[in-house]
Amino acid sequence: MKHYSLTYFIGQSFKGLWRNGVMSFASITVLMSCLIVLGGFSLLVYNIDVNLEKLGLLNEISVFLELDLEEEEIVSIENQLKSIPDVTKVIRTTNEEGLEQVENSMNLDVSEILDDYNPLSEKFTVYYSDNPQNVSYEINQIEGVRKVYDRLDLAMQLESFKNGIIIVFIWFLAILLIVSLFVIINTIKLAVYSRRHEITVMRYVGATGWFITLPFVFEGIIIGIISSVLGFFIEWYAYTYIEKMVTTQMKMINVIMFDDIKLFVFIGFVGIGILTGIIGSCLSLSKYLKS
Amino acid sequence: MIDFKKVRKAYPNGTVALHDVTLHVDDGEFVFIVGHSGAGKTTLMKLLLREEKASSGRLMVNEFNLSRMSNFKVPYYRRQLGVVFQDFRLFQNKTVYENVAFAMRVIGTSPRMIKKRVPAILNTVNLLDKIHNFPRELSGGEQQRVALARALANNPKIIIADEPTGNIDPKMSLEIMNLLLKINKLGKTVIVVTHEKSLVDYYQQRVVTLKDGEIIEDRVGGMFEE
Ligand SMILES: Nc1ncnc2c1ncn2[C@@H]1O[C@H](COP(=O)(O)OP(=O)(O)O)[C@@H](O)[C@H]1O
Ligand SMILES: [Mg+2]
Repeated sequence: MKHYSLTYFIGQSFKGLWRNGVMSFASITVLMSCLIVLGGFSLLVYNIDVNLEKLGLLNEISVFLELDLEEEEIVSIENQLKSIPDVTKVIRTTNEEGLEQVENSMNLDVSEILDDYNPLSEKFTVYYSDNPQNVSYEINQIEGVRKVYDRLDLAMQLESFKNGIIIVFIWFLAILLIVSLFVIINTIKLAVYSRRHEITVMRYVGATGWFITLPFVFEGIIIGIISSVLGFFIEWYAYTYIEKMVTTQMKMINVIMFDDIKLFVFIGFVGIGILTGIIGSCLSLSKYLKS
Repeated sequence: MIDFKKVRKAYPNGTVALHDVTLHVDDGEFVFIVGHSGAGKTTLMKLLLREEKASSGRLMVNEFNLSRMSNFKVPYYRRQLGVVFQDFRLFQNKTVYENVAFAMRVIGTSPRMIKKRVPAILNTVNLLDKIHNFPRELSGGEQQRVALARALANNPKIIIADEPTGNIDPKMSLEIMNLLLKINKLGKTVIVVTHEKSLVDYYQQRVVTLKDGEIIEDRVGGMFEE
């Protein structure tokens, strides 16, 4: 495309947006709200995921052994754990390492108090990819295993909570995107209508379908860009506000810093915004693209 | 070269606007198309513009076979034509210059070319002194000259005018007709649809008479019969 044509398209697009100010404003507002809600949900789900992982509740089972086992028995148990289907990784924590961890977390010298006696058992941390109930059951069958700590109930509750949020989120997303599309389609239709005389003349003098439609597609893209950039900054502000509130009042919850995900959120917003704009304008222009 | 061979046009509602029309126009000719209202003159123009497709028969314009042409070629075909309508179809919010420039810009002409060419065309239609005026500041005849300039903007081979003098007073009509003849002398094929008897009789050019969708007369220097 020649640069002077491009300049012409962009100029026409801004003119069109300005001419139908109310509709353009409506489009931008609706699409922006859609993106903010969408972003909010995504960030919520992401935070839940991260917190579940941090708590070690997901895909992880702690296995404590009997106290008086020989090293070779321990190694045998380790091998049995590794051979259970769906187990991906087994990590051993010796009772000495365990004691060290206790000392570090309590910040005192336990071994002195205990007079070198170690009351802790050997521990394995088992990671699995699927079928937690089955994995947990198999572990319980192994001889020498004293206690299996799987926290399955809590993990599953949180999982289903997360899944519930995701379902609500998908519905919201679908509805909001449809509403955004609808508003954009009507904005572009109005823009086409207000330029119908120009379009007639353009067709008679031999302007191509692309030349006629591209300014409108650009209009959709501009709506997408403005909505997503505004939405991004509002999301940023709101998220930081909530993050501060949560981290001061609920210290156990680990909230991701917005800075860490800024780029990702920005690309997501602009990408979805532009895509919605393009799809919306193409849908309202399909008639003109044909001839 | 324009060549209609047994071209028939039936509209979707069943009206047959043209019955097996056969008509040949050579490059550089000047042709009046006359006939009563409803005779099929506008339909003939619309077929030439490829705004409508023939129901049967063959229509060739230069190397383009309009019956077979795919939609995406239509814009390129239309660049060979310049169209003038009874109602001018100018943009009221654009100056004379901008109205003409618009036709060039939308087919991708460079700004440098536009700047050079627009004044030259306006000179051809004797409107150089009104270059920065808006259409509402011009008479009907002047507005039609702007439309003519726009039709000439992309240097078409054929000029098609559907009732170009329908909305302007008789004195101005002569001016427009003289311009169309001048353009014809510059080497362009000119097709003018009209039902103004006095004009047709005055100019003594080839006259094709349509009646109820059929050509009933085709004579050079023909007289318009009521
Ligand atoms: N779009 C259309 N749909 C149906 N009938 C049409 C249409 N356009 C024109 N006609 C009919 O075709 C005939 C020729 O019309 P037209 O070509 O406009 O004649 P003219 O320009 O000579 O007055 C008329 O009977 C008219 O009613
Ligand atoms: Mg007519």
